Amino acid sequence: MMEYLTGFAILIAFFLFGSFLHKLGVPIPGGVLGLMLFFLAMQVGAVKLKWVERTASLLLRHMVLLFVPLTVGLMEMGPLFSKQAVAITASLLVSVTAVMLTIGLLGHWLLPAEPASKTETKIAEAGQ
Amino acid sequence: MNTLHLILFSAVCIAVSILFYALGQALHHRWRGIPPIVAASLPIVALLLIFRFPYNKYNQGSDALTWLLGPATVGLAVPMYRNGKALRRSLPMLALIVLIGSVVGMVTAGGTAWLLGAPLPVIMSTVPKSVTTPIAIEVCRELKGIPQITIALVILAGVLGASFGVPLLRLVGVREDRAVGAAIGSASHGVGTASLVRRSEMQASVSGWAMAASGIFTSLLAALLKLFLH
Repeated sequence: MMEYLTGFAILIAFFLFGSFLHKLGVPIPGGVLGLMLFFLAMQVGAVKLKWVERTASLLLRHMVLLFVPLTVGLMEMGPLFSKQAVAITASLLVSVTAVMLTIGLLGHWLLPAEPASKTETKIAEAGQ
Repeated sequence: MNTLHLILFSAVCIAVSILFYALGQALHHRWRGIPPIVAASLPIVALLLIFRFPYNKYNQGSDALTWLLGPATVGLAVPMYRNGKALRRSLPMLALIVLIGSVVGMVTAGGTAWLLGAPLPVIMSTVPKSVTTPIAIEVCRELKGIPQITIALVILAGVLGASFGVPLLRLVGVREDRAVGAAIGSASHGVGTASLVRRSEMQASVSGWAMAASGIFTSLLAALLKLFLH
């Protein structure tokens, strides 16, 4: 329990600090600023992975819950959606295909060969 | 309403959201084809419609849940940090490729909507559609888009990439683990990443890393776009 609370406090602190910087005029969303600072803090060893590991994976695992309230708001978007259906659908299909092919092909051509890594790679958490 | 009422009301809204989320998870375990977000949201929509309860009130009541997307975004640094360690030498090149992909994603999404005559708020809502939901929502707000449209697109981008990403990449001869992972993580965020977990550890790791990286790049690029628009 304590572990979750510590991790939670750390994540919230970074989020609030990011939001504060955003309020001061940094044109990047507070959450993303928090993410970048937090990543740096782990890189330089100021924050240990194990302090936050459990809380972060709990939040990421149940992230779907966190956007339920906004998704329900789709109920009021009906008229807008039906008017813009073609533009929205086309934009989605074109863009997903373009990103997939650009990155896939560039990766295929440009990535250097990786020496066989001995460290165990952990599976990525899935957040939507 | 006084404060006590507000707190009670919030508690009810949040409890209802959690209840239907749990049911949605159960349904998803039973029938994989049902996305959990759809299974959780549809019954709430039905409830609000049946009781003629205004959506705005429910949304305000559930504010605390939406707020948690902030700390959850910060938490994305954990898979990024962990997976970044496994990638080592390819990291700079991967970062460059994901950056290019983020530009392509934003330009093609916004550009297509613009060409087809969509109004500006709709165009802006399509721009962040490749990245993970909490970041996409924040970027959408920055660009004065409509968060609900972005959310719908993000979910669909995830489902599309998870279903057709690997076959599409095969079609053009891309099979290398890191290339597949980076492509799917950048185009289809967490939903795509989850679909790779059972295929290959390397693909899933790269995908988790690319998901966070493309979220950061897209936020930075959106800040530039905003400056440009002013």
